[in-house]
Amino acid sequence: MDIRELKRQSDLSYNVAVAKRNALEKAHSRQVVAYKGHLFRADPETICLVRTLMSTNGSFFLLDANENPVEIKDADDFLNKLIARNQEALNAYHQMYETFTRKGD
Amino acid sequence: MTRGVLLFCFDTEHTRYHKILERCVGLIKKNLKSQITVVTNFETYEKLKPLGSVNYKFIEPELGNTLNGRTWNNVDRHMAYELSPYDTTLVMDIDYFCFSDNLAQLFDTDYDFLVPDQAYDLSGRNSFDLRRWSMIPMVWATVLVFKKNQRVRKIFDTVKYIKKNYSYFNEMYRVYARNLRNDYLFAMALQQINGFVGYPKMPFTLATLPPDCEVIKVTDEGLAWRLKDQISYVEGQDVHVLNKEVANV
Repeated sequence: MDIRELKRQSDLSYNVAVAKRNALEKAHSRQVVAYKGHLFRADPETICLVRTLMSTNGSFFLLDANENPVEIKDADDFLNKLIARNQEALNAYHQMYETFTRKGD
Repeated sequence: MTRGVLLFCFDTEHTRYHKILERCVGLIKKNLKSQITVVTNFETYEKLKPLGSVNYKFIEPELGNTLNGRTWNNVDRHMAYELSPYDTTLVMDIDYFCFSDNLAQLFDTDYDFLVPDQAYDLSGRNSFDLRRWSMIPMVWATVLVFKKNQRVRKIFDTVKYIKKNYSYFNEMYRVYARNLRNDYLFAMALQQINGFVGYPKMPFTLATLPPDCEVIKVTDEGLAWRLKDQISYVEGQDVHVLNKEVANV
């Protein structure tokens, strides 16, 4: 490999790494959901916790993104919103990720 | 309950901030679908193209900061409480471009004051982690949301008090800033009013493009920039652009 090809490959790797980081950051920002006056992260931890708690209780308590307690009365509605937002954010990230993969070809 | 976005915009000798405002307003209308009030002066207002349904409030800006011989007028943020006609107000820098509707949901919370405390460097160099001297957590007053009530009025009163005695508080909290920055004013005021024990924040980072990144294209969906010989872009993600040459793109 000559030095020009090495630089090209290095620049490409850098660009992909930065773009991937930015796309992931965008996904994290997009995962913030306002619900019943509070802010939550539609991340795997919250989704799993809500699913676990709703299987044993009608209503339950959860901490929001600022560690304030919130009573969740309609768990189905909340879970649907969390999953929708989580998948919307990751779908956008996946589309971007596909373009990174193609760049490497 | 009324809600809306409050923007401050004053042209300077070197920068046509009204061009940045025009882009910012278009993106707010498209993505946040919110009422907008612009605080400006007649000199700037006269240069603006018609922006549709936007409210204006006219003030004479206080003399601002200077960096490398260039001035900018950004020290009137402490008046946002009095100037806002809304019950819930989203205050934004005009160089914060909303390419998503993420901020809209901040109108739907019970929090009376929210501000972000993390900035994210889109160029991948982590260049905003420079506040190692400060004794208090810092915030980015680029974007803040507030509701009008007695507690929030006290926050803004405290900002005014700290602004008046800035050099004292600047030393006391070891901020060591040469310029008066809204970020520092609000960080100090929030620390004081909240009893030095923390306060709620926006749970996401502020995606920011450093000043050495030259914006080369802006569309309704996102923007592209050049850093040295690298060109990058983002779409559907809000961006705080620090390079004011974006006014000429």
